[in-house]
Amino acid sequence: MDSTAGLRSELKRLIVAELNLKGRDPETIEDDAPLFGTGLGLDSLDALQLAMVIEEKLGVRIPEGEEARAIFRSVRAIAEHVAKVRGR
Amino acid sequence: MNGPRLWVTGVGLVTPLGVGVEATWTRLVRGDRAIRPIERFDVSGQRTSVAGEVDGVVVEGQAWSRTSAMAATAAEEAIRAAGLDVRGARVGLVVGGTTGGMLETEQLLARLHAEPEHREVLAAMLSHPLTATGDRLDERLGPFTRVRSLSSACSGGANAIIVAASWLLSDEVDVVVAGGSDGLCRLTLSGFNALGALDPEPCRPFDARRRGTSLGEGAGFLVLERAERARARGAKPLAALAGWAAGSEAHHITNPAPDGAVVASLVSRAMARAGVGPEEVDFVNAHGTATPLNDPMEAAALGRALGGEIERIPVSSSKGQIGHTLGAAGAIEAAITALVVARRTLVPTAGLDEPDPAARVVHVPHVGRPVERVRSAISCAFGFGGMDAVLVFAEPEMQSTAAPAGAPRPQAEPVITGASVLGACGLVAGEACADVLQRRWDLSRQLDTDGPLDPMRARRLDRGARLGTIAVQRALEDARVADASDAGLLLGSAFGNVDGSAAFMHRIFEKGPRSASPAEFPNLVPSSPVGHTSIYAGLRGPAFATADLAASGESAVVQAVQLLRAGEAARFVAGSVEPRSDIVERVLAALFAHAASQAGAKHADVAAAVVLETAHVARQRGARVLARVRQTLEWRADARSVLASLVAPSGAAAEVVLARANGGSDALLAATPWAECPRVTCAEALGESDGLGAVAIAVAAARVAAGRATDALVLGLAKGRGFALVLAR
Repeated sequence: MDSTAGLRSELKRLIVAELNLKGRDPETIEDDAPLFGTGLGLDSLDALQLAMVIEEKLGVRIPEGEEARAIFRSVRAIAEHVAKVRGR
Repeated sequence: MNGPRLWVTGVGLVTPLGVGVEATWTRLVRGDRAIRPIERFDVSGQRTSVAGEVDGVVVEGQAWSRTSAMAATAAEEAIRAAGLDVRGARVGLVVGGTTGGMLETEQLLARLHAEPEHREVLAAMLSHPLTATGDRLDERLGPFTRVRSLSSACSGGANAIIVAASWLLSDEVDVVVAGGSDGLCRLTLSGFNALGALDPEPCRPFDARRRGTSLGEGAGFLVLERAERARARGAKPLAALAGWAAGSEAHHITNPAPDGAVVASLVSRAMARAGVGPEEVDFVNAHGTATPLNDPMEAAALGRALGGEIERIPVSSSKGQIGHTLGAAGAIEAAITALVVARRTLVPTAGLDEPDPAARVVHVPHVGRPVERVRSAISCAFGFGGMDAVLVFAEPEMQSTAAPAGAPRPQAEPVITGASVLGACGLVAGEACADVLQRRWDLSRQLDTDGPLDPMRARRLDRGARLGTIAVQRALEDARVADASDAGLLLGSAFGNVDGSAAFMHRIFEKGPRSASPAEFPNLVPSSPVGHTSIYAGLRGPAFATADLAASGESAVVQAVQLLRAGEAARFVAGSVEPRSDIVERVLAALFAHAASQAGAKHADVAAAVVLETAHVARQRGARVLARVRQTLEWRADARSVLASLVAPSGAAAEVVLARANGGSDALLAATPWAECPRVTCAEALGESDGLGAVAIAVAAARVAAGRATDALVLGLAKGRGFALVLAR
């Protein structure tokens, strides 16, 4: 059983709604696809916005700098970080 | 140098280091840092809470903001230093700024947050339009013959100086007082914190350990005039404003293009205009924000433009001492650079202990030092949206050895080759604009601001930026411009993003500064629609926003004509963007509750744009010309004497096109050859908006093109100011 499936769906909805990706179906964002650069095409300003939204809506603070880069690798990586912080 | 030599004959400074040039200069050279814990307002919950604050600013009355008070002090000092009698000559004023009266408006927003219908608070909300600083300076230090309020985020102060130079070269004024002013406020602190752009400690430009910039506040003004006139009145120059260049990166709303290609080309162009080669440059005052991205980009760009001489030329950033003063920075640092030339003393980079090898330049760490001479010096300013400006100051009598290049085309004849109107009529372009006033459109109809835009690329564009981008793209299509990358972009807006700023602050009042939206923050800058549009449409010419109350659209188009005539670019897109504002309407309803006509005026989203080119460029590419711009005029107090020079219609079917019916315009036109011409007005058809001025110009051009009129006069009037454009076949 994949424990972060629900969280991943929620994150995809947040990404589309909060980053204003009009016309994009959240379910078409792949769990492991890169979010930034060549993948979904997001950039550092989207990352900052996403970190703010995750903190506000999911109550989990995303660390800054290099650590954030690893967490923002993909939807799955973000979900795992959120689950880990919540599980503490 | 091309054309007449321009001199700086006075400067004035208000900075966190001190009020006045001498107070600032002494501490600047000594390497003092004025960045400290913020005292002006509550900073609890802010990631970074140090900044450069100015002490001893006295703000008098509701009409004054901290920004305006600092501007008045600095401009007055510059005028005094220049020995200038403002009433004794044609003196222009150009003010760059970003935050304006936001500090004061935040206090009102906090009260409205608690009591949304508080009438007195609502009434005070409109005390600080983007023109407020220029208007206060005009009242206190003027009257000036011409006043321009502009914003290009953090390059506004430098763009103000470039506008001044273009006015002087066109001989439209004798002297210009130009500069910028910005007060620190919660909105910018919260926004820059949201972007993670602030160092928790006082910033360290070019240092390997730098973690961001520090904010500051202040004002800087310069008095600029043609050398022969300054000599004639016995004024002593500090330095010559020898060269300049403005342009846009068309890359990203907050991040600089990492390759620095546009910055490098602007430095090269500014030097070429000055007739100065790299071997004659003895100092650079860098933008040097101390953000991780800026400093290496800027060092590389300077290296590319200055070649091997970069190994010799000292480069400093003043931001470690005074912080980043945003709309004032370009002017404060221009004044500092002129002083470096005049006083043959280099200013340092404070806070620099471990130079970053990735941003390698020759530094002046910690303290300044006297040098034998500074033949010429460069000042750089870059703004959100990639709106950049570079200035070159030189010794007043310096004879350049390099061959001057890029000769300006003085008095080039401007033509309109494209037009668009976006509003209750939908999106209309070209000759079809002639018909948009034929009916009253349904103002409740929702405009489609998605359809014409790519959803991914437009994801950060708020309503204003969408309106602007759609109108500008359509005008360019109408002009059939295949490659608009060299075009400049000027858009007028009276109030900027009032509703967005209010929403941003409400979130902070409710949930604390950590809830400030990093993506929303850059949309609150008055020049945001300009930045977004230049990025989306790939326009790389000079770009900024102008503000002139209900004549903001006319102001932007007239300014574009002036820059075109002065040779700053061969093509401009100019117009207005004015999204409907709930707050502005609530305020007007509260203010005019007794006057049914005003309260009942239906407001609507409006954007409009025209493409302006030199007749030469239009001819060369075989463009269809909608109309020629025969004349532009602008005035402050003395409308009648300026309008005395208004040209007469060239044909029998001349019309006057107005944003709105206005008794004042009939009175003004009575004494002109246009007195009997039929009037066409926009507000009945499209709803009330401060952006109607650009609609009037687009409609006028279309009516001339469609043969409805032989000539069209657009008269734009707002409190204390006016503009006239004469279009003809």
